[in-house]
Amino acid sequence: MTMAVVAEKRPAIYEGSRIPQPIPTVLLVDPKLREEGDILEVNFGPNHPSTHGVLRLVVELNGERVVGLKAVVGYLHTGFEKNMEQKSWWKAITYPERIDYLSFQINELVFVLAIEKLLEVEPPGKATWMRMLLSELSRIHSHLIWLGTSALELGAISLLWYCFRERDAVLDLFELVTGARMHTRYFQAGGLAEDIPPGFYSECRRFVDYMPARLDEYEALLSSQVIWLERTKGLGLLSAADAIALGQSGPVLRASGVDWDLRRDEPYLAYDQVDFRVPIYPNGDVYDRYKVHMDEMRESTRIVRQCLDGMPEGPWIVDDRKIVLPPRDELHTSMESLIHHFKLVTEGYRVPEGEVYVAVESARGELGCYVVSDGGPKPWRVKFRAPSFVALEATATCMSDALVADLIAIVGSLDTVMGEVDR
Amino acid sequence: MAVERRKRLADFGLNSERTLMRRKGPSVFERELGVEELEDKLMLTTVEKAVAWAQGNSIWPDTFGLACCAMEMIAIVSPRYDVARFGAEVFRSSPRQADLMIVSGRVSHKMAAPLRQVYDQMLEPKWVIAMGACASSGGMFSNYAILQGVDKIVAVDVHVPGCPPRPEALLEGIVRLQEKILAGVPPAYDIREVAS
Amino acid sequence: MSWEQIPGFLSQKDAHGETTVVVETERLVEAATYLRDEAGFDFLSDITPTDYLGWEQPRVAGYWGNRAGRDLNSPGSWGLAKQPEEKPKRFSISYHVLALREGAPRLRLQVWCDDGEPVPSVVTVWPTADWHEREAWDMMGISIDGHPNLERILMEEDWEGHPLRKDYPLGGEPVRFSGEE
Repeated sequence: MTMAVVAEKRPAIYEGSRIPQPIPTVLLVDPKLREEGDILEVNFGPNHPSTHGVLRLVVELNGERVVGLKAVVGYLHTGFEKNMEQKSWWKAITYPERIDYLSFQINELVFVLAIEKLLEVEPPGKATWMRMLLSELSRIHSHLIWLGTSALELGAISLLWYCFRERDAVLDLFELVTGARMHTRYFQAGGLAEDIPPGFYSECRRFVDYMPARLDEYEALLSSQVIWLERTKGLGLLSAADAIALGQSGPVLRASGVDWDLRRDEPYLAYDQVDFRVPIYPNGDVYDRYKVHMDEMRESTRIVRQCLDGMPEGPWIVDDRKIVLPPRDELHTSMESLIHHFKLVTEGYRVPEGEVYVAVESARGELGCYVVSDGGPKPWRVKFRAPSFVALEATATCMSDALVADLIAIVGSLDTVMGEVDR
Repeated sequence: MAVERRKRLADFGLNSERTLMRRKGPSVFERELGVEELEDKLMLTTVEKAVAWAQGNSIWPDTFGLACCAMEMIAIVSPRYDVARFGAEVFRSSPRQADLMIVSGRVSHKMAAPLRQVYDQMLEPKWVIAMGACASSGGMFSNYAILQGVDKIVAVDVHVPGCPPRPEALLEGIVRLQEKILAGVPPAYDIREVAS
Repeated sequence: MSWEQIPGFLSQKDAHGETTVVVETERLVEAATYLRDEAGFDFLSDITPTDYLGWEQPRVAGYWGNRAGRDLNSPGSWGLAKQPEEKPKRFSISYHVLALREGAPRLRLQVWCDDGEPVPSVVTVWPTADWHEREAWDMMGISIDGHPNLERILMEEDWEGHPLRKDYPLGGEPVRFSGEE
């Protein structure tokens, strides 16, 4: 694994950095320009068809060129973290899904992994591989919606329907396994909520068999199309060192040439046992981010196929009665099971005191969950490090010398989900 | 015309769940409106019926997707759940051109002001569907940040429960709204006290 | 490995495979610069403020008791019983850093402060800290010294109070059922 960028000694904002000063996230208008030019302040308000949710960009234009930019967020602030402090560990698992509502199972995964790290339990193999499979399906789901909506904003309207056709196929798989299309809440501390129903494997296999052909269709529509290339090549440039300084991760970082993927470099679940390629592109423009997303979808399909082939048999949840409900038939015969069931349902399991930070590779980058436990049945503090929050910090850097028409393309390519940004 | 028994919404051709549960009393909506008023308002002339037919069969929604429910709202445009057969696939970005605001997602207090502004910019007659648990009542987020139901600031016609509601559920909400319009029920801001 | 060479080092703790290093609040920027330049931690993942108000008070089930001692006869001790570790001050701010090289070494740099004490900004070291620090100010009321743009980010500009503090109420309203008057 070669590093495209080596961490070297450099001053705070190094020579050649395009990160604006003094505020790294706000592009300020040059005062000379303000006097001579005709600056128009436009508000891309929270309700906008192309800003991927409730993002407000206050943009200052000199003609068609963007000379000032400020992102205002908080229109979807939900108070997840405070709400989760009031719920038991078990009930709190429903909350993280709604944070990044496109790759929702990955959010659940990171929270459940944090709980398991504090509890020091190891879920059984079947649960681990199934979690990996569902995470990759979530990634495909998220990239499909990203592709559909980004293409829609740039004018390739028909791609929306193609992507949503595949997205419905993925949601059908989720419904088959978990019972719900979105916000499935299938992961528990210790494994999965229920066993995998029969019929899932064949349906999933059918999906991975036809998916690469569909991806070829999308590439055929876009990758060499003149208008798409004109609208995405050379825009929204973010250099590798800038990307690292701004904390970018995921497709944005990989499109800037940095070879970093948490699935390969800090493996969790069973990613070290499956074979996949990490796509890296050098230019750091919108087109490269698009290519990274497309390649990631292919690799995710390969991982799903390998999960199907390598899925171990066995229990779907760990056998520790202090954390997991006992099987119902035992409640008739064993007093201890009855008591444990009662305590688990009314109070919930207790997680030992400590603090952990778990990071996984979500569809957008490094999704981290910092959990502080006081040893009781409720979390003391939960914080989600959302990759989109950090991606929006890079808008000012990507947007220097952009035209207003490129604004949409660049913000779209950063793949932000406002639920994550505002939490 | 002497009213011998209380008229229910079913008598006006409206498909409410009360028709399934016949022993249930009048719904909150019917009680609010009052039976005589309802009768008055629902006596339509031919011209009004024609206008209502046109309005109901071409409700153009406004793109007001906020959070997770927005994903299922976009899904109704897809060929599987085709909302075009109900005339509502044209999502207008400008509120001036839209009839229907589907509030899909959780509304934070910061977003409440832009939401009300967009609602005010819509031209009458306008309808609002509160999609999902968060828009209807605050959902699972009973806290400082989320408006506990968008009907605190706008007048809502149809609430669609779910978290998120399936696309079919949202289609059912749109169909119920169509039935309301076709029956001549005035938009919610004419009936409910809140906002307008 | 030991991190004693970090400027301002106070203590180090290794648990669950993670290392937490506590440094003096005044020397935070020095420590951050040392980590970025000498140790190669060029990626700041996250800045998390945590409020420990009420940490020592007894919990609902009397699980482990309080400062005065532990009641062995109280129910629900589960065998995991342990006294909660005492915290030096009210707020802890954790900086999760990562080095983008083989092995993905991570470190949690932690400083402690009380209500009203300012914490220096690390925006000059890792520019990504900008919004994280704004969120720390907005949500927890931790004033950051030297931040170029310390404004509220998630709440409205004129909001009063800092929502994630433990003495701030959860809010919301009681559920009203439709049959009630």
